[in-house]
Amino acid sequence: MELLPFFEWAETTFLGYIGKTYGGVYATFGQSLHLMALAVLGGSVLVADLRLLNVIMKDVPSEIVTEQAHKWFRIALVVIICTGVFMAAAVAQRMYHNDFFWAKMSALLVGIIFVFAIKRPLLKGSHADLNPIVIKMVASASILVWFSVAATGRWIGFSG
Amino acid sequence: MINEMLVQFAEWLYATGGSRAIEESFYLYNWIETTHVLTIMVCLGMLAFIDLRMLGYALPNVSASTIADRLNVPMMIGFALMFITGLLLFYAKPVYTNQSIWFRIKMVLLVVAFFNAIRFHRHMKASASTWCNEPRAPFNLRVSAALSLGLWAGVVTTGRLIAYDWYHCYRDLPGWLSAAAGCVAE
Repeated sequence: MELLPFFEWAETTFLGYIGKTYGGVYATFGQSLHLMALAVLGGSVLVADLRLLNVIMKDVPSEIVTEQAHKWFRIALVVIICTGVFMAAAVAQRMYHNDFFWAKMSALLVGIIFVFAIKRPLLKGSHADLNPIVIKMVASASILVWFSVAATGRWIGFSG
Repeated sequence: MINEMLVQFAEWLYATGGSRAIEESFYLYNWIETTHVLTIMVCLGMLAFIDLRMLGYALPNVSASTIADRLNVPMMIGFALMFITGLLLFYAKPVYTNQSIWFRIKMVLLVVAFFNAIRFHRHMKASASTWCNEPRAPFNLRVSAALSLGLWAGVVTTGRLIAYDWYHCYRDLPGWLSAAAGCVAE
């Protein structure tokens, strides 16, 4: 499926127009908010996964920590996607030709599928019933995926 | 006078081999910047959870002092890495960065955030035993936590804006802005 027409259209939308015309709006409501949401997402991932790895808060049940962290993960993810769409719309055609944009989109998709199709269903019940090695593998993979999303996101600006 | 001295210092830094090596290396500079962003996730992510706990929005059923104590170590590790990579980014482009109004505002916000953190910890240590199992911290600590979130949001925003040269010295700036940005007569 040819996606270029969609990206060309995205630049002509209201979001694309605002982002392209008003640099200050793009930088503050797009980039800065994106970074702040990324910080909250990073915090929620690390708080939950470092607990699952038995690195922090060993005296707090991991079920409570992962449940509460997930609440903030969802909020941060929504903000990241909204601000990301806004930023991408302004430079949509450049994004289409940027390898790191596609790397980030792939990593983001893997991350979302991983969280909602694997990690959440797995951790829903009592963690004591799960194999500790599986828990540690899931936590390590989660940190790796979300830090890859952040790193590839930063490299979008360095290439193309 | 101070602006002249800062420019001289920045020009001296810029002439050193290390500064040139970082700025001219595509991969080194960009990886330092990427690491700076990743450490924001570690440091500010942990900080956000501590502050949100004080405000009653995160982990309200876990003792506030437990959260603050346990998240403090990874937060400080993240801060140390963020500080080191931040210094290296300044070292790579000292002349440009020194004359960025956004960089200067960021430094002021960092200093205010530092004093707010000291105040927060002092109040927390003095009173934690009386309220730490409550879902929300007392009013003065909630104010500190909200201020902390606001100040760090400002640090992130101004940090991001350093990349933009809308108010740089080679632009036509009003006198007060020119002085605030550290511009000096050629």
